[in-house]
Amino acid sequence: MAKTGGGETVVARGVKVEGDFIVEGNIIIEGEVRGTIVASGDLQIGPEAKVDADIKAESATIAGEVRGNMRINAKLDLLPSSKFTGDLAAEILSVGAGAQVNGTVRMGVEEPPKPARGKRAQAASSASDEEAE
Amino acid sequence: MYSYFYDAFLQDRKYERDIALLETRLTDLGIMGKITRLALFRDGVEVIRDEIADGADTIVAVGDDNTLRRAIEAVGDTRTVLGYLPLSNKSVFAELLGIPTGVAACDILSARLVQDIDVGEINSRRFLHALEVDAADAVISCEDLFTVTVPGKASISVRNLAFPDDTGVTDPTDGKLVFVIRQSHFSFFGRKSEVSKIPFKRAHIFTDKHVNITIDGGEKLQGKEFEIRAIPGRLRLVTGKERKF
Repeated sequence: MAKTGGGETVVARGVKVEGDFIVEGNIIIEGEVRGTIVASGDLQIGPEAKVDADIKAESATIAGEVRGNMRINAKLDLLPSSKFTGDLAAEILSVGAGAQVNGTVRMGVEEPPKPARGKRAQAASSASDEEAE
Repeated sequence: MYSYFYDAFLQDRKYERDIALLETRLTDLGIMGKITRLALFRDGVEVIRDEIADGADTIVAVGDDNTLRRAIEAVGDTRTVLGYLPLSNKSVFAELLGIPTGVAACDILSARLVQDIDVGEINSRRFLHALEVDAADAVISCEDLFTVTVPGKASISVRNLAFPDDTGVTDPTDGKLVFVIRQSHFSFFGRKSEVSKIPFKRAHIFTDKHVNITIDGGEKLQGKEFEIRAIPGRLRLVTGKERKF
């Protein structure tokens, strides 16, 4: 019997997602996303991706362009090709030489800099916080 | 009580030997039951529904994938266990469910490994395997939370139970369906395929023109707006250990 695959979500180049993008599991973004991203797993943003969204994820690796506030529970990797504008909070931060960061950076287990934009995303976010507690 | 439904095409003489072997094996296994032969001009779905109403607790579709499709439609929400004895070598469902063709399928039926499997529904029509959408500019609205804009050159499919491929394995027991969106890009290095994969429970597809959607490789549905949802664990199917999920 074959093993069942994980619930990975992929947004490829040329595809555009708008709204409260709430995902169970890992997510890979190579296309465009506007709104809010909430992922219970790892987030990867590719070098050609364009993201204009508030983000909450377990961990993240960013190689493309991101505008918005970001809260990462574990490790955030900003690769050399990444351009980030906004406020970010992460437990562990790695910034590659050449990566652009414009905004405030908070490390450790502090509260996120600003609330997420979408109402439903806020609800989902607070629900996941309660579960974690 | 087992109720067997033989598809109309099995009346062809070339299937006589296969059916004889099948019935002998079912008798040996002690799971022989009532046999109903579906006819060309008789609504198979209604015939199966009547049998369920009369108390059949296991419906067995004998024939090909079309036979199984009709049985799925007939079983509906009754939670009646559904078995499949494929007699066609071109059965996609048989391979997905791990059921061999011909008399060997009787042993799978006898083992009675029943799995609760999700069913997809598009505009009130149910499907087990997948939907294929004709290429068109489309907007997909998922869970009333977010929209996905798909360029016209892309092909869209919706999967429930499908063969493992470059997008991985789709799990028909997770309560979700998956949009698989494929696009081709041409570059200096040649043609490159981009694949998006978006799991969902409920979605609407809106297209800029009338398109056809092929349901489970058979029936076609035409329109510009479609409602799709996953119905978790609705189908109780007898599967083999070699199933693809």
